[in-house]
Amino acid sequence: MDGNMLKIAFQLNGKEVSIEINPEDSALMVLRDRFHLKGAKEGCGIGECGACTILVDGLAVNSCLMLAAQLDGRNVKTVEGLVHQEKMDILQEKFIEHGAIQCGFCTPGMLLSARALLDENPSPDHDSIVEALSGNLCRCTGYVQVVEAVEDAAAERES
Amino acid sequence: MDVIEAPAQLLSAVISRSTTIIMLEASFRHIGKNIRRTGSAERALGTAVFSADLEMPSALTLLILRSNRHHAQILEIDVSRAEKVPGCVRVFTARDIPGRNRLGIINKDQRLLADDKVRCVGDPVALIAAETPESAERALTEIRVEYRDLPSVFDPEEALRPGAPEIHEGGNLLGSRFVLRGNPDEAFKHCEVVVEQVYTTGFVEHTYLEPDAGIAYMDEDGMLVIHASTQNPHYDQKDVADLLGIEEDKVRVIQSATGGGFGSKLDMNVQGFVGLAAFLLQRPARMVYTREEAFLATAKRHPLKIWFKSGATRDGRLLAVDVSITGDTGAYASYGLAVVSRAAVHATGPYEVPNVRIESRFSYTNNPMAGAMRGFGVPQVALAHESQMDMLAERLGLSPFDIRLRNCYRIGSTTATGQELQASVGIGATLEAISPHYHEAIAGKEQEKHKPYVRRGVGIGAMMYGIGNTGMRNPSSAQMRLDLNGNVSLFTGAADIGQGSSTVLLQIAAEELNIDPDEISLIVADTMLTTSAGATSASRQTYISGNAVLEAAKKLKDVILTQAATILKTDKAQLVLENGWVHSKTNVVDGVSFKRIAERAHKAGLPLNWQGYFDPDTTPLDPETGHGRPYSTYAFATHLVEVEVDTLTGEVRVLKVVAAHDVGKAINPRNVHGQIYSGVVMGIGFALMEEFFPGRTESMKDYHIPCAADVPQIMSIIIEDPEPTGPFGAKGVGEPALIPTAPAILNAIKDALGVRIYSLPANLERVMKACLVAQT
Repeated sequence: MDGNMLKIAFQLNGKEVSIEINPEDSALMVLRDRFHLKGAKEGCGIGECGACTILVDGLAVNSCLMLAAQLDGRNVKTVEGLVHQEKMDILQEKFIEHGAIQCGFCTPGMLLSARALLDENPSPDHDSIVEALSGNLCRCTGYVQVVEAVEDAAAERES
Repeated sequence: MDVIEAPAQLLSAVISRSTTIIMLEASFRHIGKNIRRTGSAERALGTAVFSADLEMPSALTLLILRSNRHHAQILEIDVSRAEKVPGCVRVFTARDIPGRNRLGIINKDQRLLADDKVRCVGDPVALIAAETPESAERALTEIRVEYRDLPSVFDPEEALRPGAPEIHEGGNLLGSRFVLRGNPDEAFKHCEVVVEQVYTTGFVEHTYLEPDAGIAYMDEDGMLVIHASTQNPHYDQKDVADLLGIEEDKVRVIQSATGGGFGSKLDMNVQGFVGLAAFLLQRPARMVYTREEAFLATAKRHPLKIWFKSGATRDGRLLAVDVSITGDTGAYASYGLAVVSRAAVHATGPYEVPNVRIESRFSYTNNPMAGAMRGFGVPQVALAHESQMDMLAERLGLSPFDIRLRNCYRIGSTTATGQELQASVGIGATLEAISPHYHEAIAGKEQEKHKPYVRRGVGIGAMMYGIGNTGMRNPSSAQMRLDLNGNVSLFTGAADIGQGSSTVLLQIAAEELNIDPDEISLIVADTMLTTSAGATSASRQTYISGNAVLEAAKKLKDVILTQAATILKTDKAQLVLENGWVHSKTNVVDGVSFKRIAERAHKAGLPLNWQGYFDPDTTPLDPETGHGRPYSTYAFATHLVEVEVDTLTGEVRVLKVVAAHDVGKAINPRNVHGQIYSGVVMGIGFALMEEFFPGRTESMKDYHIPCAADVPQIMSIIIEDPEPTGPFGAKGVGEPALIPTAPAILNAIKDALGVRIYSLPANLERVMKACLVAQT
């Protein structure tokens, strides 16, 4: 098996990293088991629920469907990378403030989908937020307070 | 009624009713406040540790070989080849279980591993423990099971016929419940209108986002420690100890961060397996369900068939109902007996009916196990009672709103089980709260006639929900402790599965001790450190565990005050607690700290750890008539729904929901709104899209729950009709939030099309069929 190992290098939460992987390893597996970043979750394993969402070159993707090999040379961000200089991302603060977190299993994925949206469009309207979050399933919140939190985060950045 | 609080959200409001007890709103410091949910920072940071996140490099991977037969005798299980797979450590079968191979919270009819036979597809047959997931997968393919198929039955009515295949010894009837009041046969003769209909609902999957997971190991003291995603750690502890034949105090269950439950994590889904492997192999063992395994092997919502006959007088008063409920509990009981009773007791809805006959019968089949799911059968019966109300109203020329207001419970009403409701009966207030929205929606509907193929409809659904278990003891206990440094701790066994019970319990303790909630250490759902709070189910933790915490806090407060009175040489009644100090009402400067009080009490040998206990005042129901006091308090709600039906595609869009809930007192309004939004959206899934088909539904590709784009405008209205026996007047809201939505949507579809759908979900096929009928 060692003969098949593949070395990849990428930027992970702002740091250059490299690692040897099996070519068939998923990005989610490598992030969770090799880098011990447990923020991304496996909710379905088939790209339906969005709990494994990470940012790759700023795009929100399902890491369960992505091969780790595809991370080579990319800029990868997980929920652990949202904290900047020991300060929470505005989205993290607003999720807490609005009660947008219940069980919290979907939260990392939601935050990253929302982050990708705000990076691309700092003042999204309600429908754009809903669209951006539609790939992230949540069974607890009914999404209302999640959407409110993202709206509030966007509004705060504008003001 | 007064609006006592500015809306938490633009669209949401809190309305308070000061009926039975006087609440000094202004005096609350933590109750009624939007305190941040405990654990939300860790969840936002991604550092909260769910079961699958626990790192233990030496942990064995566990996999289960599950039955691919509906009903079969096991002739032989050959694990010899599997055990030779490199990396496979052991393959366990039923013979390896050292204690009693039985599980189940009410009926002990489940086997951890099948012994003589399997009763459904998915039954666990063998358990593999391996060094790596790859080895476990390979070993799984090497186990040979020889089955002899037995006749199977999938229809709950067929299962009760003579000669039906027997699934468990003693027959296929799980249980029944009867409720009788007055003389329905006679009363029907005096009804102006009688409507009669059959309603059906399907299996529903909980679809919590976190698939079941757990990890177990032996600690240095020889204790078996299990971390698991669970709603009831103390029950898990007992059943695991019985399985292993060891004392309960040799098993410690710690609830990990739990990614939702909705009833399914009341069953032991992984705890027994990780416990068995870790105990027998003396090595850490981990099990993480794939989503497919969660679909295959965990409990579903019970499919019900409800025959419902109701009759009313000319002026729209309900005179009689006659209801027959048949339920399918699948291969095992799980919480089925609780659903049998709760469905029966709630079948009249929130309405006073003088003549009632209800019979509810559930049977075993070879379908997947059905168990607890948010609402315990009430969401299903609410479809029936709410459709019936609309049908009666239509026949009598009354509005759906008026007929409900005319019949709803009031103070002094008697329920079908003969219980007189004495306080906190907010159903009328929830109806009144939606009244302006209802009339606005009706008026708005008339103006919307832009697309001829799109029809608009408005519907109402109402409900009542008994808080806590049905007609049985279901106590909770909690402890409050003051340590020698003057720090306060709250110990509760209540598993917070995301709904926010820990936050509410903390607010109750903080209010009583007048201390900042952040200053209280919280120890939750660890069987070694906390006592049982009962299950996180039946919307019971705020009311029942809230009372237990309140009692513990009161006892601790009394000791603190007694000590302070001696130190300060002041009458106890003149003293107040404030932020970890005690001082006199008139002299706020010369106080005494909790630390000094604790040291003094300790020297005097006085306990600083106090237990609170609460068991709601219920009585068992009479087996023949169902009479008794099933619950000591009830929550009430009314939802108003506006829909748009596309008659070309059958697509139903829910445009708006106004949800009014009587919760007694909202300890944390933002969390209550969160529960209501959650319930409404789950209700939309239940109404329009969700159905689990045994053998066909395998993954999230086959089963769709609402996503953000499916969410309508939701206005959540909190009604506070305080419950005198509740902590600060509180009742509960978790399950009630879901119940009225689906019936309201179906009533709205009827309003849009003029054709009624009697089965859930009202999926595209059923709606299209209704559209075709409407056009003919």
